Amino acid sequence: MAEKKQKAAGLATYEPSFAKEVFQNVDYGEKIKMCMQCGVCAASCPLSMVMDYSPRKIFYMIRAGKREEVLSSKAIMLCTSCYSCKVRCPRKIPVVDVMHGLANYAIRQGYVPREETMLFGKEFWKQIVRLGRIDEKDLPRRYFFSKGLIPGVKKAMELADMGIVMLLHKRMKLLPERSIKGAKELRRMLDKASAMGPGGR
Amino acid sequence: MSKKVGVYICAGCGIKDALNIDALANLASEEYSIDTIKTHENLCGKEGVELIKKDIEDGVNAIVIAACSPRVNYDVFNFGVDKVVERVNLREQVVWSHAPNDEDTQMLAEDALRMSIVKANASEPPVPFKAEEEYSKKILVVGGGIAGLTAAGEAAKAGYEVLLVEKEQRLGGFLAKNKKRVTYPYKELSDTGIDELISEVSGNPNVKVFLGAKVDEISGGPCLFDVKISQNGQEITDRVGSIVQATGWVPYDAKKLPNLGYGKYKDVVTNVEFEEMASQGAIKRPSDGGEVKSVLFIQCAGSRDPEHLPYCSSVCCLVSLKQATYLKEQDPEAVSYILYKDMRTIAQAEDFYRKAQRDGNVFIRGTVESVGEEGGKLYVTAQDELLGEKIKVENLDMVVLAVGMVPASRPETVPKIKAPEGAQGADAEGMIEVAPDSGFFANRALNLRYRQGPELPTLRYGFPDSHFICFPYETRRTGIYTAGCIRRPMESAQAEEDAIGAAMKAIQCIELTTQGMAVHPRAGDMSYPEFFMQRCTQCKRCTEECPFGAINEDEKANPLPQPTRCRRCGVCMGACPERIISFKNYSVPMIGDMIKAIHVPEEDEEKPRVVALVCENDAYPALDMAGVKRLSWSPHIRFIPVRCLGSVNLVWIADSLSRGIDGILLMGCKHGDDYQCHFVKGSELAKIRLSKVAETLQRLALESDRVRYVEVGIMDYHKIPEILDDFMKVIESVGPNPYKGW
Repeated sequence: MAEKKQKAAGLATYEPSFAKEVFQNVDYGEKIKMCMQCGVCAASCPLSMVMDYSPRKIFYMIRAGKREEVLSSKAIMLCTSCYSCKVRCPRKIPVVDVMHGLANYAIRQGYVPREETMLFGKEFWKQIVRLGRIDEKDLPRRYFFSKGLIPGVKKAMELADMGIVMLLHKRMKLLPERSIKGAKELRRMLDKASAMGPGGR
Repeated sequence: MSKKVGVYICAGCGIKDALNIDALANLASEEYSIDTIKTHENLCGKEGVELIKKDIEDGVNAIVIAACSPRVNYDVFNFGVDKVVERVNLREQVVWSHAPNDEDTQMLAEDALRMSIVKANASEPPVPFKAEEEYSKKILVVGGGIAGLTAAGEAAKAGYEVLLVEKEQRLGGFLAKNKKRVTYPYKELSDTGIDELISEVSGNPNVKVFLGAKVDEISGGPCLFDVKISQNGQEITDRVGSIVQATGWVPYDAKKLPNLGYGKYKDVVTNVEFEEMASQGAIKRPSDGGEVKSVLFIQCAGSRDPEHLPYCSSVCCLVSLKQATYLKEQDPEAVSYILYKDMRTIAQAEDFYRKAQRDGNVFIRGTVESVGEEGGKLYVTAQDELLGEKIKVENLDMVVLAVGMVPASRPETVPKIKAPEGAQGADAEGMIEVAPDSGFFANRALNLRYRQGPELPTLRYGFPDSHFICFPYETRRTGIYTAGCIRRPMESAQAEEDAIGAAMKAIQCIELTTQGMAVHPRAGDMSYPEFFMQRCTQCKRCTEECPFGAINEDEKANPLPQPTRCRRCGVCMGACPERIISFKNYSVPMIGDMIKAIHVPEEDEEKPRVVALVCENDAYPALDMAGVKRLSWSPHIRFIPVRCLGSVNLVWIADSLSRGIDGILLMGCKHGDDYQCHFVKGSELAKIRLSKVAETLQRLALESDRVRYVEVGIMDYHKIPEILDDFMKVIESVGPNPYKGW
């Protein structure tokens, strides 16, 4: 109620608690303390034009305590790990890790800011765990049809041209791919890693 | 001094390939009856110099060297202080910048030689000034803060006696009131170290400390400063050699800042007050002594604001970071917000900013709007630049205003004096506000008994005029050097360095003056202006126009020159309408003779003649550089180097015009707020005087276009041909001087 009143008056309040939350729960979260708001990350990011908030703004908003806006932002889901930002940050903030960490945290907190990214991510991960590699036909198939038959067929039709070219150039197999050698060992490694907890500690 | 003149022409550096050297030698012999005329392939070499030295042994005592620019090889052509040496700039300004083997180039070389011979004949070697009174080598340091203490300590360690005058009852200034200091290497807080410095300096046997004292009066000049110090009703007099003013700063008055709640809410304090609180014990809420869990620092409180202090005080950002660190050390759970316009961490202090960030302080970039109170706690509203919205930070226990530094010299209200006749802006009582660059503006610290005012003239914002960007410790009063925050806002490590520099300059001044030499910028110059008082008409132009206030005045308005205060610029010489001022090697008749020595061709020969008076600091080097770059310009211009355009006496213009010279060009350094003129006001005065010449010219039926003043910076060498040829075009269009051949 008080928050609504303030929003109506056009005054945002500075709240240090969300920042503390991020420092404790997000991978490398405490590094954002060092951000000096230079904007190089925002300027380098190839996706900044489709992000609702640039990485710089995300960090500032965390420090200002804007929990809702940050955890429900599309920006944190759109990071493609190109590393342009991380390489250039003058304060050596691992921007990529923080963005992914925030996305992870947001999902754990029950926010789903960009459904497609989350669905694709889940399917991608499931394949890796099962096969140790990606099956070029199978992954898109599972992703397209994850939302239902009709949307799946529609999407597949849209990308039919590219699919045929890939088949002709032997980039895609009609039959299912086999797994890597040692897929079992990989699964054991992944199990151990997730047992170690976030940040590998 | 009876003169035996020797003329030496160098054939090297391309001179013999461009000029007829024999013709030059003949000229010296026929027109000036000089017996000793020698030529050499390489005059600056060992053999060439030996040649000259041999002639000196045979009696030559006025040496005219027709070779390269006087700005080079002055060490090679140094034959002792009792000889007259004149340099003819045949290389850079004749051979390298004009067509070889050309009639006009030859005429140019001939005139240059004539002028130098005439000057050599008229010049006398300077005799260094030595006052009858005893010279002192002591140094007076006014102000006992970190700058004053460091200056005193360094001068004492160098072996000089120091008098250190401090108005408070204890030394240390503002640094003594600090809890900690942030200094090199700017990674963490360090102890102020002020107590050690105080005991080191007070303990030095060369230093005499006067606490609770002030300077009542200073009269005299370098090496002869008679100082009266008053302490507890007692008066102490002494003579000192030079002075370092390190009187420091005061914080900007926070009561003048609207909307920030200072004075209204007890928990709103300035950075100075916060520091004092922290240094005396724990940080507590001033209103009720309660815990401090959150503080907001408002940066640039009254700084970088045209309504308050337009400048940045450079240290306030670091100070707030330091104070936020105090709070974190006292209570790791406490939060500091820092509301800033820009985060300015000077020197290498970025590391300390990083530390403050690592500690978890919150940095908000924005502009403060108001400070208010709600439920016993403070809140601050601001426009957050990075969020793009208005924000409110609530539940603050304290708000700290990071106010800037005001130099101790800046008066609260501008002083007024009786307006001179005809002055504009006088109020009902005939009083007018004093200009900042007058010696009557600044708050009293030195109380100089100088005709031009008791304090150092100030430049912008009330800081003493530092005279020149390259010479930071210099002021417009010879022998007085400023150090520390009085000069500009600076942090403690910089103040220390500043003080060491000022101490060195103070020592330099003493050592040069005892030898009768000038200090900056004509360091080592032993000539000084002499006044032929019988013809003085007490017009007061020299006493008013001297840029350094070096001339006192008695009740009858007679000038009382103080040679140790003089910078030897010659502005007084240029000002005097009766022409009673002269130097042994630089005078009005000397330059007049040089002008008269120029051969002015008849009107029908269609060779115009222009005299260019060129200042030695910026314009002459620019000309030389243009020559080095082999740029070219009209051969009809005759260059006469002068010490400063301010030393140009208007009679030279009359002399030139009456000889049939078609035009006069004055080339000098920039003046104004960002002045380059080494003598501060010289070129400005030249410009003002020229504006009065226009009227005289009209009465003589001469076009005022014939006389032009042009600003030439030392880097403007590439513009030289354009400037000169432009002027020649104007001269050609107004036509030849009708007084030719008279």
